[in-house]
Amino acid sequence: MTTVFRAVKFALQNFIRNLWLSLITVSMMMFTLLTINMVVMLNLVADNAISYVENKVEVSVYFKEGVSEERVATAASYLRSLAQVQDVRTVTPEQALERFKERHKRDEKILASLDEVGKNPFGPTLVVKAKDPSGFPFILESLDHPQFKNDIREKDFDNFEALIGQIRNTVSQVRLFGIGLSVIFLFLALLVVVNTVRMGIFIHREEIGVMRLVGASSTFIRAPFLIEAVLYTVLAVALTAAITLPIISVLDPKLAVLFEGTPGGLIGVFQKEGWKLLLGEAVILSLVSMAATAFAMRRYLKI
Amino acid sequence: MGRACLWQVDFMILLKNISKIYPPNIAAVRDVHLHIRPGEFVSIVGQSGTGKSTLAKMLYAEERPTKGKIEVGGWDITHIKNSDVPLLRRQIGVVFQDFKLLPRKTVFENVSFALEVSGATNKRIKEVVPQVLKIVNLHEKGHRYPGQLSGGEQQRVSVARALVHRPKILVADEPTGNLDTFNTQEIMELLKKINEFGTTVVLVTHNREVVNALRKRVITLSDGEIVSDVEEGRYKL
Repeated sequence: MTTVFRAVKFALQNFIRNLWLSLITVSMMMFTLLTINMVVMLNLVADNAISYVENKVEVSVYFKEGVSEERVATAASYLRSLAQVQDVRTVTPEQALERFKERHKRDEKILASLDEVGKNPFGPTLVVKAKDPSGFPFILESLDHPQFKNDIREKDFDNFEALIGQIRNTVSQVRLFGIGLSVIFLFLALLVVVNTVRMGIFIHREEIGVMRLVGASSTFIRAPFLIEAVLYTVLAVALTAAITLPIISVLDPKLAVLFEGTPGGLIGVFQKEGWKLLLGEAVILSLVSMAATAFAMRRYLKI
Repeated sequence: MGRACLWQVDFMILLKNISKIYPPNIAAVRDVHLHIRPGEFVSIVGQSGTGKSTLAKMLYAEERPTKGKIEVGGWDITHIKNSDVPLLRRQIGVVFQDFKLLPRKTVFENVSFALEVSGATNKRIKEVVPQVLKIVNLHEKGHRYPGQLSGGEQQRVSVARALVHRPKILVADEPTGNLDTFNTQEIMELLKKINEFGTTVVLVTHNREVVNALRKRVITLSDGEIVSDVEEGRYKL
């Protein structure tokens, strides 16, 4: 225990005596972690954005004018019995007219043609939501059943696949850029770690020489450098957390719509899962920086 | 003989046909054969470059012999493993011409450093360091930094540091090389005192006056070879 305590003491001394290089090392590690967190956050936001858009996908089934409510109800219960269907909502002709006007409020020609007709041209409508967008083709096909086909005037499917594809494409490009940037920062951080250890060895060459002379084990001579690597990581993770949390707080209200149904929104997700992310980063970065330190010692520390 | 029965031996140091050859083919030490008994005070003398320091370095495994066999306290250290070197060095105190003190540590800290890095408890440090500082007569200067001491005092700190592990052997490599006559005498008196306590002292020097005043065993090296080995000898070269 005494030996561990002393190794930690020597590590702290190394850190302070080599303060500027230590701070640069911590900063580089922090930039790496911030970039990784940015990629993680982007993934999270993109997943939620895609779910949000997917939730908006629905099929409107417009029935012909004069189709009885009973037949519409039969069609609705048939649709509800399908495994692909999540929800079926019935819209009255009046609601359908309002809905149509709302959707085309910027298209004056359509609104004018509606005025020309002079009466409500809509029959009842069913609005169908699928459990998964991939289920829509089946739902649309099932409505071609002879039992319903003649009652249906039109099926209107808002296809968001192109938009989802666009989101996915953009996110994957940004993700790729983020991963590339993380790798570059990590590489630079490791180079800085190696250089910091090299400088540490140079600065402490007298002490290391005396240590060897008076019978310090090579483990004891090396341990402070490895502890220092862990210290850099812990500080970098702490600083990253201190920077990431306010950023999340600022983004949270702006992204609230994407996190509807998630307790606490974006902040809630990070309060629940953030510590796992930071702990994982701390463990992995500690191991990687210790490996870089071991490499530097192997190269520059002659004991 | 293993490490377990260390020091219960007839010879504290035994060198059998030791040679040290540096590439491409420079012999620093050639076929040296000698033994040193427990409690002896031996001076190894010779001109610069005759292999005195190389021989001393082989005693505390700073250098490994190219040929031959070395036993220290019955422990064959010819091919000592790197992991065993710290154990050896805790049993051999070493003093150098340039003191090798840490300028940013006080006298007390310089001496306690040797114990700290070897895993000694704080209790033992508080017990041993004042004792050795008293032996070297620096117990009242423990709070000073090396820069605030004379050369002789700095060398006494270095001796104190070498003594904290209570070694059976003290190797002093040109300990008076940087000192004036007065301080040289002081250090030699200290080494004699340590020897009287039972520690085997190996003194490497080329200081004629020191060797002649000692009237102890003198081994003379020339071109890496022993050319004379005399009990109560004098500096001959």
